[in-house]
Amino acid sequence: MITDRLGKELLFFDGGMGTLLQERGLKPGELPEVWNIEHTEEVFDIHRQYFEAGSDMVLANTFGANALKFHSDEYELEDIVTAAVVSAKEGANFGVHDGREVYVALDVGPTGKLLKPMGDLSFEDAYAAFAETMRYGEEAGADLIHIETMSDTYEVKAAVLAAKENTKLPVFVTMIFDEKGKLLTGGDVPGVVALLEGLRVDALGMNCGLGPEQMIPILKEVRKYTSLPIIVKPNAGLPKQKDGITYYDVEPERFAETMQKLVELGACVIGGCCGTTPEHIRAMTSACRGMKVSPPVKKNATIVSSYGKAVEIGDKPVIIGERINPTGKKKLKQALKDHDLDYILKEAVAQQDYGAHILDVNVGLPDIDETAVMTEVVKELQSITSLPLQIDTVNGEAMEAAMRIYNGKPMINSVNGKQESMNQVFPLIQKYGGVAVGLTIDEDGIPDTAAGRLRIARKIIAEASKYGIDKKDIVIDVLAMTVSSDANGAKTTLEALKLVREMCGVRTVLGVSNISFGLPFRPAINSNFYTMAMQNGLSAGIVNPSSEDMMRAYDSFCALMGYDENFAHYIERYGSRTAEVKTGAKDSDMTLSAAIERGLKEEAHLITTRLIGEMEPLDIINQELVPALDRVGKGFELGTVFLPQLLMSADAAKNAFAVIKERFAGEDSLEENQERIILATVKGDIHDIGKNIVKVLLENYGFGVIDLGKDVAPEQIVQKALEEDVKLVGLSALMTTTVVSMEETIALLREKKADCKVMVGGAVLNQEYADMIGADFYGKDAMQSVYYAQKVFGRE
Amino acid sequence: MDARIREAIRYLGYGGHAVDEQTLALIEDSFTELEEAAKRRIIYRIFGVTWGAGRLTIGKMDIASRNLSRNLKDCKEAILLGATLGIEVDRLLKRYSLTDMSRVVVLQAAAAAMLEDYLNQCQDKLRGEFESRGEYLRPRFSPGYGDFDIRHQDMILRMLDADKRIGLAMTDSYMLTPTKSVTAVIGISRKKERCPLEGCEACDKKDCIYRRNT
Repeated sequence: MITDRLGKELLFFDGGMGTLLQERGLKPGELPEVWNIEHTEEVFDIHRQYFEAGSDMVLANTFGANALKFHSDEYELEDIVTAAVVSAKEGANFGVHDGREVYVALDVGPTGKLLKPMGDLSFEDAYAAFAETMRYGEEAGADLIHIETMSDTYEVKAAVLAAKENTKLPVFVTMIFDEKGKLLTGGDVPGVVALLEGLRVDALGMNCGLGPEQMIPILKEVRKYTSLPIIVKPNAGLPKQKDGITYYDVEPERFAETMQKLVELGACVIGGCCGTTPEHIRAMTSACRGMKVSPPVKKNATIVSSYGKAVEIGDKPVIIGERINPTGKKKLKQALKDHDLDYILKEAVAQQDYGAHILDVNVGLPDIDETAVMTEVVKELQSITSLPLQIDTVNGEAMEAAMRIYNGKPMINSVNGKQESMNQVFPLIQKYGGVAVGLTIDEDGIPDTAAGRLRIARKIIAEASKYGIDKKDIVIDVLAMTVSSDANGAKTTLEALKLVREMCGVRTVLGVSNISFGLPFRPAINSNFYTMAMQNGLSAGIVNPSSEDMMRAYDSFCALMGYDENFAHYIERYGSRTAEVKTGAKDSDMTLSAAIERGLKEEAHLITTRLIGEMEPLDIINQELVPALDRVGKGFELGTVFLPQLLMSADAAKNAFAVIKERFAGEDSLEENQERIILATVKGDIHDIGKNIVKVLLENYGFGVIDLGKDVAPEQIVQKALEEDVKLVGLSALMTTTVVSMEETIALLREKKADCKVMVGGAVLNQEYADMIGADFYGKDAMQSVYYAQKVFGRE
Repeated sequence: MDARIREAIRYLGYGGHAVDEQTLALIEDSFTELEEAAKRRIIYRIFGVTWGAGRLTIGKMDIASRNLSRNLKDCKEAILLGATLGIEVDRLLKRYSLTDMSRVVVLQAAAAAMLEDYLNQCQDKLRGEFESRGEYLRPRFSPGYGDFDIRHQDMILRMLDADKRIGLAMTDSYMLTPTKSVTAVIGISRKKERCPLEGCEACDKKDCIYRRNT
């Protein structure tokens, strides 16, 4: 078995395939996998050469053999994959390999598509495509699966899950890093390592993109973080271009020399990628054979990750933002019920701006489908923030669904000392990876001594290890109890923190603000307790990052404890602050309408705040706001005001509205009697800027917008229109290829909801086109949609 | 004024109008932010061009397009290229679309200007290389323009191995992802063409508000 040798002795992969096939006549753009059937002998010959050159394993010619990339009218995917594996196996049997045990890997490359939400391929479809190929590969006799040349953590997660759930084969993964150690999609080395180790691959590393020299620093970085055997498969140098042809110019001897260095630095499995030939591999194997490998070293850092960022929960405390949790938050509850994702996303952005490092996500409400909402929210959150998420739920199904689609290694809140809880959560961590928050509570409740909580912490850590979950992936929450009901509560918590840190050597987490429940002026207690907790070993406080007191406590702690080099962060944040006065916007003698016309957001806010003491809310709206908006709108039509200004004014007006709503919430005159409009970018279309502009303006004019987002199927739009009994739908499309979906949507609306009007817009449309697809109205710009909506709802 | 800023203003539909200070500041700020977020990448390869009746073949890609044929007239070779600003720009746009649409609109214009500028620079460099050996480059021409079918996007990306090399892919509806990306064909000719028309000047839609030099 290859896994028995892995990490104990040096193993050799093969070199490039594509370049060799091209030399033998493969045309650019042609599918190389077709050669498995049409030119079997050529493919076989390349494999044979690699085995003769000393490779212990070769990659079958299946890099692009997945249903998304491989479209052929002539050949079935299964036959292509089978032919590839068989041909490599034959190469293995008939090649000269000095009695060595050799292997064939199913080669799995990227789908060639970008995953949602930035692209249009769903995680599930990517998974299905990989799974299909992998099943064929295992059946055909592949010894392992090698997932390579990946530049997206999300796609690689789909591939690894597909391998694990559909085959019993060992899984190797290599990704493309650039010279700065980043993936094309922004991920970094610690994040990639955390993700892949969490998914329990057998070996990981890097291939393609760089030459052997450039891989040295990346290898060092990988070695710093991983406990697994490392694979290194460089190109024959950096790609160069001459006469429009890409070539690589590191010669076999130099390639081999550098590969020796890479082995000394910790590579356990080596081979070549683009531009490397049997000569490179021969030079490499003769130079390196017999070299000792440095076995992988176990690492102890507690790391969670997102698509683009790894966060270590280490000596310097980190902040977990607590705001995405409906408990006690009326607006968030409503937003969750209404599927108002924007509200939740804004909360995430705000917490990030305030300095959170990880975001807690809890969507638990009695009457919602938590699994559906949790996955939806996680998907959206990970498209706008690079902060790792903490999935916070007691619902096992929701937890698993969220862990599955999460793009990274998540934090899981939580498991506790009850057997039932551990039975539920640990298998999930074992499968998907993650750092679990372990609450020190069990069947007998919460012990009221520090020693009692330590006992449960130990129990949790011991149980986790049965699943092969290392204690670095457990952070213990010793629980902060409300001090007003137990005078010793804080003391016990602080003692327990210290004890758990010292005795178990694990990181800790705490929901800090519980402590002050029932007391007046909670920020004072909270922030002081926060400092004390950090002093006693708290690694990650779950706090409100928009609370100035909490952030001051945190920033001061870091500055005092040497975690803020040269006080750089402290000075940046507080350096310009001599008093508590906010500078910038002034409530000058400007009128509200002037502030709106000039697009001054902060001024609009300040002036409205003043005005609500002096005027009736409806008067502010009718005398100041609406006339200003109308003037800007007219100017836009006349070509004296331009789009950025129109939108700045819209934002300023929105700020003014917000002040009024806040102040007079609940009063009849302002109650939402809003006419609602559905907006969507049609199926197949991922450009939504135009739609978002229309949304801002419609909201400005008091319409309630139900925003279904982009790439929305006709059925989904129609269903929503029926559910909400909507009278107007706005559709946007950018290109001719997606106007088809627009036409389908209109047809379906006509059929199912005939009383609903449809307005359309987008770069490719004009009046003629709009008429052709049966729209009621074509808006050549965003203002036109406002005017049309007013007409439809009889507001003119 | 920086040429890129002028282009961004044009994309925002200002035509000949002066831009106000606030918007100008927003544009400048957007370029600063883009310098941070954008990861400019390009890939290109040269292919032979063969001519048939009413169609041409680049590499193994068969194309029926009058506009492209005119553009590539007399060319025996052509460069295929793909370029992108990378996925972080899309993320930036998405994030701001939650809170600040005016910034989104400006950022997207600035990103378009940045991409064009990047392509121009790359093309200038190539032009120099080719002219030194007596070959001349035609203006670049992208699928989706005129009668050059957008569906050729697929083959161009494959011929360039664009997803693997620079992370450039497309959706099922032939839209490039990341969104701030371009694919194009550039003809290589032995003949020097005098002042070739390109971009706006080559377009028949004379009343377009985005038109250059109107």
